[in-house]
Amino acid sequence: MKTTVPASPTDQLEVDQDIISRVLAGDRDAFSTLINRYSDPLYRHALGMTGSPDVAEDILQMSFIKAYQHLAEVRGRFDAWVFRIVANGCKDWLKNIRRQHLSYDEDDQPSSYSTPDEELDRTELRSDLDRALMTLAPSLREAFVMKHVEGRSYEEMADLLGTTVGALKMRVHRAREALQALLEEKYA
Amino acid sequence: MQDNLNARDGDAGRERPRRASEQAQPLSDREVPIAGGTATSEMINSWLDGDAPEPVAVNADTARQVDLWRRIEEDSQRRRQLVTPAHVTAQIMAALPTDLPQMALPWWKKQMQVSPVVAIAAAAGLVALGAAIGNSMRIR
Repeated sequence: MKTTVPASPTDQLEVDQDIISRVLAGDRDAFSTLINRYSDPLYRHALGMTGSPDVAEDILQMSFIKAYQHLAEVRGRFDAWVFRIVANGCKDWLKNIRRQHLSYDEDDQPSSYSTPDEELDRTELRSDLDRALMTLAPSLREAFVMKHVEGRSYEEMADLLGTTVGALKMRVHRAREALQALLEEKYA
Repeated sequence: MQDNLNARDGDAGRERPRRASEQAQPLSDREVPIAGGTATSEMINSWLDGDAPEPVAVNADTARQVDLWRRIEEDSQRRRQLVTPAHVTAQIMAALPTDLPQMALPWWKKQMQVSPVVAIAAAAGLVALGAAIGNSMRIR
């Protein structure tokens, strides 16, 4: 069962710090509370960036293991810190996959949605959009996924990525322009 | 009269042939707006950014763009409902290292283990250093 996220950021920070102290004092199971609390947005980010549920799960797992190993180094917000680990994991994966497959033909796409329900949900537009997203530079893809797929505000994105709202708006606008150029012939 | 050293000036009306590397450049990496009818209008960006209401289609092109983005937004809404598969938390917990994460202590607070041999050697070294300093002072 998912743990509800505390209402205010200050409460959230305090609760997270309390859990971190418990884990550092030897209560290993308390770490699952942090996983349950933050895994959904992180999973959506990894899925949006990679287009593959399997890869998203792997990135999430590696990121939480890394977070556990370096838990004593957390300063400030745990969610922002672990987001950066996941975001870097996604970018590293994209770099590697681009090196392996320089052209993105349909056969080169990461594995598709695996469960029957996900297969049913997968629309033609979604697969075309995923394919189009794969052609974007990682920074544009990241900005588009955070804005559209995760539904974050520009201020929140700027906070998490350590950049300005103006720069992020520019990235999202450029991503939209590129996606529209790729999709409008078929859909518009 | 000076020589015209800029050979390109003579080719003003002619398009420079594109290099293979330029043609292969991803669409997204271009710094200039894309020419033609593909540019996402200011109106649509404002709507998608939540700064303006959904634009009323002023022409056929805008209507098609609005329809495309409405469909993308519907798909994005569905993606926003996605949750982490149920098995993932247990899988991560099982994969965690058995060692507890170490507290990051400054070096002066870290415990240091010194064997008797090392302690005696360090003491002898200090005595020798003290004697050397004492001798040098006596010579002066």
